[in-house]
Amino acid sequence: MDAISRLDLFTVIAVIVLGATGTYLLLPHGHGRTRPKLAHQVGYALSALSALILMAMMRFGKADVEILSKAFFYVFAFGAVFGAILTVTSRDPIHSALWFAAVVLATSGLFLLSGAQFLAAGTVIVYAGAIIVTFLFVIMLAQKEGRAIYDRMARSPFLATLAGFLLLFTLLYSLVGIQKKGPAATDHNAYVAGGRIVPASERLGMNSRSLSPDQSKVFNRAVSDANRLPEATIAEAKGTHVADGTHVAGLGATLFTDHLVTVELAGALLFVALIGALALAPPRAPIRPTVPVIVSEPASPARLT
Amino acid sequence: MNAFSFEMLTNYLMLGAALMAVGMLGFLSRRNMIVMFLSAEMMLQGVALTLVGFGRYHGNWTGQVFTIVILTVAACEASIALALILVLFNRRSSLDVSLWQEIREPGQPPTMDRASEAEPEPASTGPETYPHLLIAGREPAHPVEAWTHRRD
Repeated sequence: MDAISRLDLFTVIAVIVLGATGTYLLLPHGHGRTRPKLAHQVGYALSALSALILMAMMRFGKADVEILSKAFFYVFAFGAVFGAILTVTSRDPIHSALWFAAVVLATSGLFLLSGAQFLAAGTVIVYAGAIIVTFLFVIMLAQKEGRAIYDRMARSPFLATLAGFLLLFTLLYSLVGIQKKGPAATDHNAYVAGGRIVPASERLGMNSRSLSPDQSKVFNRAVSDANRLPEATIAEAKGTHVADGTHVAGLGATLFTDHLVTVELAGALLFVALIGALALAPPRAPIRPTVPVIVSEPASPARLT
Repeated sequence: MNAFSFEMLTNYLMLGAALMAVGMLGFLSRRNMIVMFLSAEMMLQGVALTLVGFGRYHGNWTGQVFTIVILTVAACEASIALALILVLFNRRSSLDVSLWQEIREPGQPPTMDRASEAEPEPASTGPETYPHLLIAGREPAHPVEAWTHRRD
């Protein structure tokens, strides 16, 4: 296992230490004798600095990425990371929900940059459109006057920060390692080369002559035709003109052929969740005692006759 | 060459890792149930970024299909969790998750939250405050005579 270079290790540690200190200062809790306002300003500065150093760790390799899409990538990535820290540390749950909406918008921008147009639209509609609005409704239903004590007090902020950023450290350490090393030396992983999708058989270094018909059938079954990204996506990223509508059509083709059962399962899951929410949400008698209902005495059978 | 290089893939993985870690931090440390749930949703966003990056790098749709499934599960989760939060709020009339400690695992000590560690409450402006308006325009001439003459 190769160790990463000293500079990279230093960068990763800088991201972790600055981010952990900033987040710890931003989390709501009394800071001893320090004035809270000063602690917050230092916290904002440190977490923004940590996110900026994380941006400096981004590499684009030999691919000729346009300067504009690079700029958009940096903006979205910074927005996602900084918005995430602010979501977690805001005192007001409404601010948290709005910062989470910002994170979702930045993420959908990243989806768009990686050629997932349908998902970008779907994320904005489902998350930023539906889920956030429902959240705001619930927050406003359940909010009281003033800032509640549980919003001003995080539970063991030091340990939580330590755990979260230790996880981030291990992940970043290994990711920087493989970023430097690149894909496997045999380059079996290069599914996309020279602007075209490499078929499975070719990718594994076997030409069609060395493959028996059964073997090639297996390879083609492993990644079916509908499941391959259209070459249009690749060409689009290179700036050449492609016909519109290829992309979502391709996603629909694979969704309704290869993953038909998945679609049905997702629909069933939504239905079950709908029933569950309807069964849970309405208030019941012991929870909200109202004016006691006067029950009339049952008519005696003697009077009926 | 490759439009989506290996380095781009690692960029997406690092961003996904950051969202995941920060979401975990928030879930562990915040006490407001709604903020905890938002943190869990943020972890899902990180995983979605990772999946989309992998799918693009490997040149197939599987990552995006899986992300659609994640979106569905997140929507279901949001509806159920908000219904549960409403029920819990109706019982204790508070969103504090510490009030539900009696359902913890047997043998675990309860968490004691000392109120002295809380951040000081921001200064309240009182129930009835009005915005301070700046003086605009020229001050009109006051009719001083009307009540000074009343004395005699």
